[in-house]
Amino acid sequence: MSYLLTQLANGLSYGLVLGLIAVGFVIVFTATGVLNFAHGSVLLAGAYLVAVLQPTVGFWAAAAVGIAGAALLGVLINAVLVRNLAEANPGTAAILMLGVDILLLTELTRRIGNRVIPMGAPWGADRVEFAGVSLPTSRALAALVAVVLFAALWFLFARTRTGVAMRAAAADGDTASLMGIRLSRTGAAGWALAGALAAIAGIFLASFPAPGVAPTVALSAFAAIPAWVLGGFDSVVGAIVGGLVVGVATALAVGYEAELHVLGSGFGEVVPYLVMILVLLVRPSGLFGSKEAVRV
Amino acid sequence: MKHRTRTVLAVASCTLALAACSTTDPDAAGTDSGDGGSDVETGAGVTDETIGIGMLTDLSGPFAAGAAVQVAETQGYWDRVNADGGICGRDIELQVQDHGYDPQKAVSLFRSMSSDVIALQQVLGGPTSAAVLPLAQQDGMYLGGHGWASVALEYENAQIPGTTYSVESANAVDYLVDELGLQEGDKIGVVYFVGDFGSDSLAGAQYAAAERGLEIVPVEITPRDTDLSAQVSALQEAGVQGVILGAAPAQLASLAGVMGSLGMDIPIIGNTPTFGPSLLETTAGPTLLENFYTTTSIAPYSSDEPGPQAAAELYEEVAPDGELGWEVPLAYAQGELLRDAIEGACEAGTLTPEGVVTAMRETSDLETQGLFATPLDYTEVTEPPTRTVYVSRADADAPGGLAVVDTFEGPSAASYGFE
Repeated sequence: MSYLLTQLANGLSYGLVLGLIAVGFVIVFTATGVLNFAHGSVLLAGAYLVAVLQPTVGFWAAAAVGIAGAALLGVLINAVLVRNLAEANPGTAAILMLGVDILLLTELTRRIGNRVIPMGAPWGADRVEFAGVSLPTSRALAALVAVVLFAALWFLFARTRTGVAMRAAAADGDTASLMGIRLSRTGAAGWALAGALAAIAGIFLASFPAPGVAPTVALSAFAAIPAWVLGGFDSVVGAIVGGLVVGVATALAVGYEAELHVLGSGFGEVVPYLVMILVLLVRPSGLFGSKEAVRV
Repeated sequence: MKHRTRTVLAVASCTLALAACSTTDPDAAGTDSGDGGSDVETGAGVTDETIGIGMLTDLSGPFAAGAAVQVAETQGYWDRVNADGGICGRDIELQVQDHGYDPQKAVSLFRSMSSDVIALQQVLGGPTSAAVLPLAQQDGMYLGGHGWASVALEYENAQIPGTTYSVESANAVDYLVDELGLQEGDKIGVVYFVGDFGSDSLAGAQYAAAERGLEIVPVEITPRDTDLSAQVSALQEAGVQGVILGAAPAQLASLAGVMGSLGMDIPIIGNTPTFGPSLLETTAGPTLLENFYTTTSIAPYSSDEPGPQAAAELYEEVAPDGELGWEVPLAYAQGELLRDAIEGACEAGTLTPEGVVTAMRETSDLETQGLFATPLDYTEVTEPPTRTVYVSRADADAPGGLAVVDTFEGPSAASYGFE
């Protein structure tokens, strides 16, 4: 029983971190209509900044710089590349983002080399125990931070002018524009927010139980893509729920791989996509996605 | 539009014409009567003054950092050979090209390079060397430095630098039983990447476990998995008494870190590519120092045998600030292997690609001054040249982070069969 609970706790905390990444995908998509395939390398850039700065300025200052840096990187990508493409085919922007991802990733891989750069987080390899379940402190903290951030996001979108402007811009850009909302600002805010969330996720993904910053950290963003899609492309709540579903399903598949052996080894790897396909079969727009107006 | 089409056609035909012209220098082949290597038959890559060798490596992809270490050491190695008079009265010219871990690119680089080199010092990477190996086989060209996957034993032209991953892991199981106190009926976790590396490692461990009456708990992972919490929990639940790892340093760090935090005080044995010295600075450091072993063909950087010492000395000269690791003695050893084969070809009077392969296959007792654990025998294509490995432990004081404990060849490693 405690084994099941442990795997569930692992899955929930990992799912919440995936949710942070998936929400970034959603925010960029709703703010600027771009499928941001460069999200993974922005995440890695933030985590990399933290890891290289923390020995000199300390973890907390480095974390602040890393989060701000990733936000800035997002704003820059938006300002230099995306805004000029605003009227172009969304497919072009998606491919462009793949290109940006390859460029950023190559440069970061070159800088990181074959090292694994420790994150130096103050909680180290500690664990917390509750109700017979043992969880790495970093994961418990990640879950807590994610929940707080999700609450903050809700407040932002529901209760602040900026947030309402962003939602209006997402719902109908042309009308919002006529109402005096500056789409360039809501777009930049979206990219900054996504970058910051990615960096925070990156810090947790590269801390214990992961060893530190290595180029593979960027790939974690790909694990968040099924979460994003199954939640519905444009729903923040969907992305969070999607993250949890993927996290828990993966942890259980890996944890019970021995019992699931009829399905072959490495089942945990395909579970996120399997879940995504099953959900999309039943609900083609995802769990919380807005439905297409016209369906024939 | 029409205009553009015509331009494209013109450019294409020019390229084709140029490509058709760029073949081997017709004078390069034939019988040579120059001084030094007198009256040797020569072939691709050999002139009166030089012998060209190729290196297809990854300077821009995922293994760029380790590859750079090997390029620096290999270049330094051949510079030193040339300073000592070269081979067969000729200087060795090392041509390094970057395949970026892309098999397609590796194949085209091989095509363009194969007429200018006598042998390939290295094709780095599993998928890339798998793509080039059959082509090199067709051309009868020597290919070294392709890692330790058993698949290399199907090729006459491939010189594996030591034993295979499967034998490394079979030795790991034997070592767990004979030296680290595991008993019949115990379980061993094998955490591995699917593919020619990890799956080979698993095959060796499974064979050895069956021989020794132990049970393997296989756990498949991918290079993307850097948090092994769920996998370690599953291993703990299964009650394993030891873990064998066929993956990369990031996975080792997570595995050891999580095991340490759960209080799993059991040995972890990794294949050669699992360890990197920077891991000792991560949260996994204390657990690695306590419980990590590695079974490797190549001696670790810190070994005090004369071969690895010479490799380390050369490396400090060519790359004073470079990263220390098993890549250094490996690159040096691969240089020694190829030099021995080219020298053999020269002595036999056939300084051709085929001559190098023949000379390599006639090598039955190659002494490497401790670079490898035993002398090497390459006469049987389908047999690894040795089945003995170095067993090393993580050690914070040793340069490169590993210190030799022993050389070891267990009974299942000795009897492991290659189909």
